[in-house]
Amino acid sequence: MSVFEKIGGEAAVNAAVDIFYRKVLADDRISEFFDTVDMEAQHAKQKAFLTMAFGGPNNYSGKDMREAHKHMNLTEVHFNAVAENLVDTLKELQVPQEYIDEIVGIALSVKDDVLNVTPETA
Amino acid sequence: MTQVVFEDATLKLDEGESLLDGLLRSGHEIAHGCKAGVCHSCLVAVDEGTVPAASQKGLNDAQTALGYMLSCQCHPEDEIKVKRVDTAGQLTQAEVIEKEWLNDQVIRLRLKAKLDYKPGQYVTLWKDASLARSYSLASLPNKTSEDCSDDNELEFHIKVIEDGQFSQWVAKELSVSDNLFLQGPLGKCFYVAQTDQPLLLAAIGTGLAPIYGILNDALNQGHQGPIDLVVGAKQASNLYLVDELKTIAEQHSNVQLHFVVQSLEAEAGDLQQGDIYEYCKSTCPDMKGFKVYLCGADSFVKKLRKQCFLSGAGMGDIAADVFLPAS
Repeated sequence: MSVFEKIGGEAAVNAAVDIFYRKVLADDRISEFFDTVDMEAQHAKQKAFLTMAFGGPNNYSGKDMREAHKHMNLTEVHFNAVAENLVDTLKELQVPQEYIDEIVGIALSVKDDVLNVTPETA
Repeated sequence: MTQVVFEDATLKLDEGESLLDGLLRSGHEIAHGCKAGVCHSCLVAVDEGTVPAASQKGLNDAQTALGYMLSCQCHPEDEIKVKRVDTAGQLTQAEVIEKEWLNDQVIRLRLKAKLDYKPGQYVTLWKDASLARSYSLASLPNKTSEDCSDDNELEFHIKVIEDGQFSQWVAKELSVSDNLFLQGPLGKCFYVAQTDQPLLLAAIGTGLAPIYGILNDALNQGHQGPIDLVVGAKQASNLYLVDELKTIAEQHSNVQLHFVVQSLEAEAGDLQQGDIYEYCKSTCPDMKGFKVYLCGADSFVKKLRKQCFLSGAGMGDIAADVFLPAS
């Protein structure tokens, strides 16, 4: 069973997305990336992101992640901020630590793509 | 081998085949993405038949009420007729039954037509083949007469704009007994809530039209929870239906009525001076569990939606009807 199924599947994502979205809007390190005019579209993106991070069904390829984030010139600070807010969200939902660790593992697996790390910049 | 009817075509689904796969196999272009019930690209709506529960998993209340289905998750057991979502559909004829000025800018237009709808949805009205505008429904779909005709009453609040092609025509030319054509209804901004849920209804200008419909719909369905209705305006003269709203608030103890006017010359009875955003924040500081309906200009809806979300309302619980000017 994937961690997505273990923590409750889509219901878990739905519970998490509003909490996560409010947290990133309040986090000065990254709020500019999430504070867009079209909140419903942003909400849908976050739902897709959380589904992926929870090990659920998704369509993201490494290339998609890279292309989507390239123009934002993200750094470790940004990545860590998102990861922290993700962990805080899961703690608020009382998700067991071992599942949180699994989810962080999935998030870390896309870090190089999100930060557009290349052999030259690694 | 379930039979499916879609846009005048009939197809038979293979064993275990989803509705999406069947439609794609038959050559229909249906947007899709994950095929896992997550991305919501593949939405269709049921026209006739039973909706399989699995196909509505993850949809919000309004989408469920409208019979939307995720076609990738849809495995119908019995024959089903489906259609695309958000298509305007056929033209229906309507007759003008009333036309009345509610203040110096807003006309209440009442039509009768064979159209079923949910108050708060919108309809496109056609003056002629080249001019159409969309307006939101302020009425309940009550039958217009006691005979067995299936005409419903449709009420619209038309803001008459100086250079407005359509609104000027309504103001100067359209008369009772005239006919016009309409399409619809469309829109997901209508009453769907738990009966004891707190509601915030907020409107500026003729955003009051769908809000008025939603308010009456909620009360008609026996809504018990507190309803805060906040109507904003630049000046007191922009307000309308004030007495009607006061009567509703008097008759229903769970309705609190608030008029918030930006520039008020003198405190006038129950009109308050202020900024509608600040007012909503102080009236409803904690919005967890609320159902929110926002109607009016784009900037108003966006700003208030964000504020309500940050105050604790779920994103899926905030419904909005945005009024965009014709280009």
